[in-house]
Amino acid sequence: MLRKNHLFLLLFICFTVLLAACTPETAGTTPTAPATPQPAGGTENTAAPASVPEELVIGFEADAATMLANTDVNYVTDIQIRNIYDPLIDRDEKGALIPVLATEWKNIDPLTWEFKLRQGVKFTNGEPFNAEAVKFNIDYILDEKNNSFYRSRWKDVKEVKVIDDQTVQVITSQPFPTLLLRIADDLLIMAPKHTKEVGLEKAATDPVGTGAYKFDKWTRDDSLKLVANEEYWQGAPSIKRVTFRIIPEFSARLSAFLGGEIHLFKNVPVDSVERVKSSENGKIELVGSSRINYLALNTFYEGPLKDKRVRQALNYAIDVDELLKSVLNGNGTKMTGPLSKVNADYTETKDYGYDPDKAVALLKEAGIDPKTLKLTLDTPNGRYPMDTHVAQAIASQLQRIGIQVTVQANEWGNHLAKIRQHEMKDMFILGWGPAFDAQGTIENLFTEKAPYSGFYDKDVEAMIQKALPIFDPAERKKAFDELQHRLVEEAAWVPLWQQGDLYAVAKNLQFAPRPDEKFLVFEMKWGQ
Amino acid sequence: MLDYVIKRTGQVVVVLFLALTAVFFIIRLSGDPTALFLPPDASREQLEQFRKQLGFDRPLHVQYTEFMTKAVQGDFGTSLRTREDALQMVINRIPATFQLAFTSLGLSLLIAIPIGIQSAYRRNTWFDQAGVAATVLGQALPSFWLGLILIYLFAVQLQWLPTGGGGSLVHLILPALTLAAYSVARFARFTRSTMLDVLRKDYIRTAKASGVPTYKILSVYALKNTLIPIITLVALDLGVLLGGAVIVEVVFSWPGMGRLLMQSLLNRDFPVVMAGVFLIAFIYAVINFVVDLLYAYVNPQIRFK
Repeated sequence: MLRKNHLFLLLFICFTVLLAACTPETAGTTPTAPATPQPAGGTENTAAPASVPEELVIGFEADAATMLANTDVNYVTDIQIRNIYDPLIDRDEKGALIPVLATEWKNIDPLTWEFKLRQGVKFTNGEPFNAEAVKFNIDYILDEKNNSFYRSRWKDVKEVKVIDDQTVQVITSQPFPTLLLRIADDLLIMAPKHTKEVGLEKAATDPVGTGAYKFDKWTRDDSLKLVANEEYWQGAPSIKRVTFRIIPEFSARLSAFLGGEIHLFKNVPVDSVERVKSSENGKIELVGSSRINYLALNTFYEGPLKDKRVRQALNYAIDVDELLKSVLNGNGTKMTGPLSKVNADYTETKDYGYDPDKAVALLKEAGIDPKTLKLTLDTPNGRYPMDTHVAQAIASQLQRIGIQVTVQANEWGNHLAKIRQHEMKDMFILGWGPAFDAQGTIENLFTEKAPYSGFYDKDVEAMIQKALPIFDPAERKKAFDELQHRLVEEAAWVPLWQQGDLYAVAKNLQFAPRPDEKFLVFEMKWGQ
Repeated sequence: MLDYVIKRTGQVVVVLFLALTAVFFIIRLSGDPTALFLPPDASREQLEQFRKQLGFDRPLHVQYTEFMTKAVQGDFGTSLRTREDALQMVINRIPATFQLAFTSLGLSLLIAIPIGIQSAYRRNTWFDQAGVAATVLGQALPSFWLGLILIYLFAVQLQWLPTGGGGSLVHLILPALTLAAYSVARFARFTRSTMLDVLRKDYIRTAKASGVPTYKILSVYALKNTLIPIITLVALDLGVLLGGAVIVEVVFSWPGMGRLLMQSLLNRDFPVVMAGVFLIAFIYAVINFVVDLLYAYVNPQIRFK
């Protein structure tokens, strides 16, 4: 009787289980139409038709942490929300400072900075932009309650004074020569009335700024949708809708790009460049990023590298040009010192070049036979372009003069922890960026106390501490130029390169990538 | 029956407690996460200050006691990264994870059981050989590779399906298929061998001799007895699937629990990791519990005292 239909019962259960998976979330929504009109069922991608896509889709590797500005120190969050909020000061394509919401700035005295603000700018909810708004945002960073991770960089700011609607003063507790850089790199302006009204928790998913785009929808770990702010003070943006689509896996990003679902993504691995170039719809854009990669010669470790001659020998023994050519396929700009060419404080420093004979001579002078030298090289894994491959290549270059190198690849969190806790041995690879000024690099990578420093020398430390508070630009330049030469002489690093950032861009999108790695959709437009 | 239920509930509680304790101490072996959240140019004093503010400078047993006291009340703290309630963040991912897990399970059962039954019945014929070969292939293919190949074929070349993301039934097809491929193999082979065992039994021969039609033998007499071991396998697989098919979720950008858990671990976002572990262990324990009850229902002989 009943038993007859057990097989059908089983099938029925399977179907019910399948149907159970169709919750309202999945049932009603249709898949978003592909970003560009697709050729009918073809295996060949014909060139994109003349009609302009409605929406720009950017493939991004990770989700933003929050929509609040001035909170999460992570380029992933920063890049996305910079389309909703404006800064006071920004950088141009060379890295120089340009006015945005602040039109002029000057020092009244070494502790007081005065900013004149742009008139007639409104937040997208109608609130006016004025000095109160600036005060609100800086106070937000300084208030311990908000737990902003930026607070550590702003500790020298004592208070913010509203002089009038268009003028605001920032008072520091001691001379803060890099305040402008902090304002350019960190500070974005949130709407004060809105944030106070809805509270921080709600504002974290409902942001209001003065930017070129308004917040539309945020589906965590899936996508962030923005629509153009037609009343933007710089003019209405030409791209009307933009979506940041979160695709954590690189191959999936590449597939989405080749299939026309996304128009833009960053960090194309050097060995996928040809694939993108040869595709119907894609092109590669390259820019010299301000992010640098280097090999630290760790003087905190009691090893052979404490001797300057050994460090210099390593500089002679490593052929950076060859590394760039064979491992990175030329995508990078060689550096000879601690700062790259896009760094405002850059000065040209001597290039050790590749001279293995000199390396051996120096080692012998230091009393070391290269064939008995054993060193360790720590590298992160996938954090920087070809990092583990570069490490292996360096090891084999050193092998040519007989030095034995053990390469150790670390998970990113562990790599950082090892550096901070001084558990690193002889050498480690690290990157640093965005790096547009000397202090940010030198103070953090060559001093005794800085958490990620790999170098300490008593005299150099004194030089650095003397240079940091100098306010007069000419004297400051002199001091930092001297430091760069000294650091090269001390062979604190084997400087590698300024990263070449590779972007896959749809052929019908005009996009000039920036050295500060930002995606400002306002600067992009459709067209060949 | 009632004291069986009570005993099992007690066991579930113990399992959850042990899981949370183990993970609590193990993730703290990698140090505290403060430095990963602060900018790299924060000084050591500032790192210390933040550590204190977030409470990571206190001795481990103090942190543990505070965590446990709050956890039993359902408060797992707020995410260090997003400042949202940690437990809520994980719970929000449950629908997506459930969709993927159940769909993939349903698909694999739908395909595997008939294959398994027929393979057993037509033992050593071409059908059986082909079935075994196909299922072994499914088990051997790495899901990462299979997923990417499917994306390339169906999304890039043929453009029938999206390359990833969540939000609709269409987005579910490829990831569910990829996940199912592995399970189909196991279920089919298992069904086949269990079925072979059952078909050898005397009561089957009796039924055949009494003239019961073949389809009835297979679907009625044999199947119910095959179900018990299969239910075990399904329960184990379901637990794993719900725990987050991390690889598939990453490849297809599917917004499920596994992906959240992995990212939180890499970001050292401890509150979310703990909330995720708790929820997964809880779901797993509940499933096993339900399965045990199901046993008792399906086979009256298996009633635990």
